[in-house]
Parts: sequence; structure tokens; C-alpha cells
Amino acid sequence: MKKLRLLIPIVTFLFVCIFFYRGLFSDPRDIKNASLDREFPAFALADLMTPDLKRTESELMGKVTLVNVWGTWCITCRVELPFLTQLKQQENMRIVGVYYDNAVDAAFGPVDVNKTRLEVRQMLGQLGDPFLYNVYDEKRDLSLDLGITGAPESFLVNKQGKIVWHRRGDINVRLWQEELKPLFEKLKAE
Amino acid sequence: MIPEIGHFALILALLFSIAQAIFPLWGAQKNHAGLVSLARPLVIGNFILVSISLGCLVWAFYTNDFSVSYVANNSNSLLPWYFKISAVWGAHEGSLLLWIWILSLWSIGVALFSRQLDDEDVARVIAVMGFIAVGFLAFILITSNPFERTFPHFPVDGHDLNPLLQDFGLIIHPPMLYMGYVGFSVAFAFAIAALISGKLDATWARWTRPWTLAAWGFLTCGIALGSWWAYYELGWGGWWFWDPVENASFMPWLAGTALIHSLAVTEKRNSFKSWTLLLAITAFSLSLLGTFLVRSGILVSVHAFASDPERGLFILVYLLIVIGGALTLYAARASKMESSHRFTLFSREVLLFINNILLIVALVVVLLGTLLPLVHKEIGLGSISIGEPFFNQIFAYLFVPFALVLGIAPLVRWKQDKLPRNKSKLFIALGLATLFALTCYFIYAIDHIWTLLGVSLAVWIVVLTLFEIMQNGNLRKLPLSHWGMVMGHVGFAFLIAGISLTQFGSVEKDVRMAVGDKVDLGRYIFSLDSVDSVAGPNYSSYMATVSVKHDTALFKLFAEKRFYQVQSSVMTEAGIDPGFTRDLYVALGEQMSDGSWAVRVYVKPFVRWIWLGAIFMCFAAILCIADRRYKSVLSLRKAKTSTDGLTKAV
Repeated sequence: MKKLRLLIPIVTFLFVCIFFYRGLFSDPRDIKNASLDREFPAFALADLMTPDLKRTESELMGKVTLVNVWGTWCITCRVELPFLTQLKQQENMRIVGVYYDNAVDAAFGPVDVNKTRLEVRQMLGQLGDPFLYNVYDEKRDLSLDLGITGAPESFLVNKQGKIVWHRRGDINVRLWQEELKPLFEKLKAE
Repeated sequence: MIPEIGHFALILALLFSIAQAIFPLWGAQKNHAGLVSLARPLVIGNFILVSISLGCLVWAFYTNDFSVSYVANNSNSLLPWYFKISAVWGAHEGSLLLWIWILSLWSIGVALFSRQLDDEDVARVIAVMGFIAVGFLAFILITSNPFERTFPHFPVDGHDLNPLLQDFGLIIHPPMLYMGYVGFSVAFAFAIAALISGKLDATWARWTRPWTLAAWGFLTCGIALGSWWAYYELGWGGWWFWDPVENASFMPWLAGTALIHSLAVTEKRNSFKSWTLLLAITAFSLSLLGTFLVRSGILVSVHAFASDPERGLFILVYLLIVIGGALTLYAARASKMESSHRFTLFSREVLLFINNILLIVALVVVLLGTLLPLVHKEIGLGSISIGEPFFNQIFAYLFVPFALVLGIAPLVRWKQDKLPRNKSKLFIALGLATLFALTCYFIYAIDHIWTLLGVSLAVWIVVLTLFEIMQNGNLRKLPLSHWGMVMGHVGFAFLIAGISLTQFGSVEKDVRMAVGDKVDLGRYIFSLDSVDSVAGPNYSSYMATVSVKHDTALFKLFAEKRFYQVQSSVMTEAGIDPGFTRDLYVALGEQMSDGSWAVRVYVKPFVRWIWLGAIFMCFAAILCIADRRYKSVLSLRKAKTSTDGLTKAV
């Protein structure tokens, strides 16, 4: 019996290693999104800051737009915000935010939208505001339609309103230069 | 030419390490004195070679040799010289070289300061450390050579060091942290040597203790520096974010804390042997695991190094060999380590064991919280993220019993004790803690339950620690290691008090300020005096001068927003007025279209106490190591050879 107990550490360790092995070969950011190459899903949601204003997918047409799903609770989004702001300023990119509220869950009761707004304002003031406006995805319908698995996630929408590119995780300098910039320039020229 | 010398020295070091891993162990097992005596020269040779290699890389950075691609990617001719040096460990390849150099430093330390030990035992320890070095040297040479050239087309200037890392904190944070991580390899090597030889007595524990304490002290210092750096450099106003990489350094710390306490039992009571061995293996395994998590890109983190599955696979295989091998050896041999000693349910042994268990539970929580997102995804349940609320809540619950037991344990006797003996002391401590909490509640109007609980637990620990000192009689005769324990525990009290006060007592405001505007925060009035453009050596910046008025005192804070040209990135330098009871913190945000600025101001009460606690703990480790009894191991061994079995009586 005592002998068996001494085996616990090695068995646990080997078990964990199986996951490490599998984790190595699956990039946490690389899962194909089902909305790719389709029209941006239809929505009619309130603007986060001015709730009377209804935003719809038709506003995304006409100009290449980056749709960024984010939340103040998301650490990676903090890292990403200054760079997105730079894209807005230097590349004149239209960036629309889809705000994904972490607190929305039946178990937590009703959500305090004002508190969320305050947090958003603080965070954007601190780190930079890349967004033309933010859509408040209160019931998470849009996130569900888009097939969001976490934050941040971004979609590049072309002038015709079709999703042509998707990224799970942060957008950074390297990604911009290697992938996003060429695509963005091409779509802009279309 | 210089980089090639560095590369060549590294290859030679690998050969030396292979010899170091094989011959001394072979000699020790076969009783071949000639092979055993090879251990020390091999270690010294290894140290010299790795030092040459590191020196070459430092030289390449110092002389702006951009034909070396690692230098080109992480340095720039505009970088001040001290950042050029610290840029050596600013990315994956160089920090790995630093890791190896520190390993050879610890190895040479063991080789030089263990002349009193049996040569066979030292040879085994050194062989294990050589084995560890082989893996890392092979790793650096095969997958991450820092001396790779960019010929024939090398850049005119470098890509610059990540601006986040251009800071005094970075100069010392990684070396300290690595000293801690790698330092646990000594305890690990001692544990493996004990498992191989089957010898584990009080001398073994006494010999392992100062090394473990040293590693633990360095790790404490390294983590505290990291936390301090994040606090003033990231501009988020926090001191701990439960980021996977922070967790990776915290886990060995928890295991190490458990280990230094368990070693005390093994030394003094000849007990907990198998548990101590497991902890020694665990502490270093977690250091290695941390390296794997950080370098393989398996987890998403702010700290991530360039990720590469090939590197990840290499480390994973290495982990399987080292950790898997160690744990298999443990499973096979640990049952031979008999703990003869008996104790009753209420004794210091049991209390120390309870705290050990609590530390391990904390460790498992951190491990699960860090790995669960990975496991969750791999079994097909989709990606999830586990954040601060989870950890904070569980740690709050774990802190309470931990602090309670921590206060009592030093008062309780070894082997067996009776609760009534200390009853009055416990009641006085409880009374004072309650009184203090009530004072805070009524006079300072602190009404958060966790804050009150936190400060009263701190008082509880301090009061009981004072009782413990007083019951020892003559204070001059108290050994240094005893003062070390006292200091460590008081440091922990500071830590809890600091955390609970700053966590719930901080006030912050995000405001839009034009020059001349004022904002009130508590009893402080912040006003924005000016925002000026300033040029640094490799950046340009806006510097805001904020003056703060508090009653009659008036002082100035300088918050900066820096723009680094080469990497075109923006960095925040918070303006902080440090104080014993509160920090004032100003971070400059974006400029608005009307010319005003987004400014974030904080008042953070007692936040310094968190780092103060950590400093106390580092000094505690120094005091313990300086204790005279670790220098008297010599006489102990001599006594052992003359009269066998005497060690058991010690």
C-alpha cells in the first residue's frame, strides 16, 4: 500500500505531460472560425455609450473594418489596445468594438451597465481608444453568431460586409506586418 | 571571432558536463577514488567555459556587434551601456545562457564549500547537477544558439530592446529569479544523491538547508522585484496579476517554502524524510516546468518569449527524463527512508505538517489555475481563461488557517505538547488582534471584512512571535537562524497586512485633466502643473508634472509617456511618491482631442509593506544561512565516523 502511494507523484506527472504534448502542437490561437468567408451576421444592438443608438451590420459596409471583440476584464485586450489605437491613427483603419461583458450570466443577476461604461471609459482613457464605436453585445447573441471562444478576437470585414480574416488572440506588430497589413492594403484598393 | 569563441566554449562546456554527469557518479557507485576526484576539476572547468561564453555574448552586446542576430534583434547603438549588458538576458537565447551560467555558479559553490562532506556524496550531487547542465547546454546549442550570425547581410543597427525591459528592474530581476530557480537544483541534486545512496540522516538535512534557504531567498527577492517592476513600469497600478508566468515563479516558491520547513523537521527530528525528498524534487521540477511553460508558448501570457513547438518538444522530453526519472527513483527508493521518530497529534511536527499541506494546496490551486485552460481545451471543451477572482478568493481562504497555524507553531514543543500550556498567550494574542481590528473599524473607518481579518492576523503573528522570543530567556544566546525564523514570520505578517490593506483600501480616479486642473482624492489634491516634451537617449516623451497637496505638505510627481522610435511603441512611466503608509501614483494616459490628458491617480495605502515583507524574508534567509551551526558540519561528520549512530542523537 505504501509503495503504491509513492507512485502518485510520477503518475500525476506523466498524466500532465500528455496534455503538454498535445498542447504543444495546437496553437491556442489557431482554431478555424466558422464565420470566415461569410457575410457578417445580422445584428441590431445598442451602442455601448449611447444606448438609444441602434447599431446594425449595414454600418460596416463601404469601408474595410476591423471588428474587435473585447472586454475590460481581459488582460490580453489591455496589451492590444495601444497597438489598435496606433492602427487607427496611423493607418486610418476603421475599428469597431463588440463589447463582451463577462458579468452577464444568469447566476450573477442583473448587470450594472453603468459600471461597465465607467470601466470602459477608464480603460480606453488610460490605454487609448481605437474604436469608432462599441456595440454592446448584452445577450451575447452576436458573439454566438460569430463563434467567439474568448477575448480578444478580431474579424476583418471587407467593403461588401464579408468576413475575410479572423484572429483569435491579440493583434501585434509582427502579425500586422506579416499578415494583416498586406491584406488590409489589398482590400482597401479593391 | 569573439562570438565563435563563445560558441566553441559552449560546445566544450557540453562535453565537460557529459563527463561531469557520468564519471563522478560511476566512481561513487564503484568506489573508484580516481573517478570521484574528477568531480571538482570538471565543475571548475565547466564554470570557466560557461563564463567565457557569457563574457563573449556580453562583449558582442557591448561593442554593438549586429552581425550576431541575437544582438541585432535585442539591442541598438542608441541603447545606454547598462541596458546593453542587461539586454543579454532580454530574450530567450541569452536568458538561457544566463540560466546555464548560474547553474555552473551553484555547482562550483557546492564543489568548493562541501569539502567536509564525504567525497562520494559530493560526487553524486555534482553528477546530478552535471546531468541537468547537459540538457540545458544541448537545448541552447541545438535550438537556441545566441551566437548565430546574420552573414552576409547584417543590419547597420539593431532592432532595439523591448522598451518594457529597458528598466533598472530588468537588470536585476531575471538574475535574481534564476538564482532562485536554479538554486533549487542543489536541493534536488542532494535529494537524488540521497535516493541513489540510500543515506539520509540529520547531516544530510543540515547540509541541504543553507543551500535551499539561499535559493529560496533569491527567489523571494526575484519575485518581489518582478512585482515591484510591474507596479511602476506597466502603469496598471497593480502588483500581482496571476499571469501564467508569474504563477510559474510562484509555484516553486510555495514548494520551496514548504521544503525549508520540512527540512527543519528532518534535521531536528529525523522525521518527514520521504516528504522532504518529494518536496526537494518538486521545487526544482516546478522551476523546470516554469521554464517549459514560458519558453514553449503553450500558454498565452504577457511575458511570452518567441514560441516554437520544436523548442517546446525538446524541453518536454527533457522534463520527462529529469522529473520523470527523479519521481520514478523516488517511487522505487523512498520507502527505504524510514522516519523512526514518533510524535503526538499536538506537536510542532504536526503543526508544521499542516502548514506544509496548506502550502501544497495553494500550489495545486495555482497549478490547476494555470494549466486548466490548457487541459480544458485539449479535452475538447473549448478555450477558457482563469483570472484574478478565482485565485484571490481561494488564497484569501487559505491565508486564514495558514496565518493562524504560523503564529502558534513556533510556541509548540517538538514531539508532544499540551494546548493549555500556551493558552494564556493565545488568548492575549487573540485579544490584541481583536482590539486592533476594532480600532481599525471605529477609528480609521476600515469596514472591509477581509482587511480587518488580514490586519488582525498580522497582529496575531507578531504578538505570538514576540512571546516566542521572550520565552527563550537570554536573547544573546539565541542562534542567528532563530532570528531568521522570527524575521521571516514578521515579514509574512507585513505581507498579509500590506496585501489586505492595499487590496481593499486603494482609491483611484480616472480623470480628464487640462494643465491647471485639480482633482481631489481622499485628503490629497492633485493638480496638473505642466506637460512637457522631453528627449531621452532612445525615446521621446511627454512628462507631466503633477503637484500634490496634503494638508500643508506639497510635493511633485513626474509621470511620463514615452515613445520609443525604433520599435515604435509607447510606454508608461508612472509617477510615484512612495511612503511607509501610502503610495501616491499617477499614470499619464492618452491626450484628448482638446489638448487635455487622461490621467489616472491612485492612493494605495500600505502597498510598500508587501515588498517590505519580502525584504524581511530575504534577510531572514541570510540570517539563517549565516548561522554558525552550518559551519560545524565538519565536527559532526568527524563525530559520526568515530562513533556511529551519534548523528541520530543530534
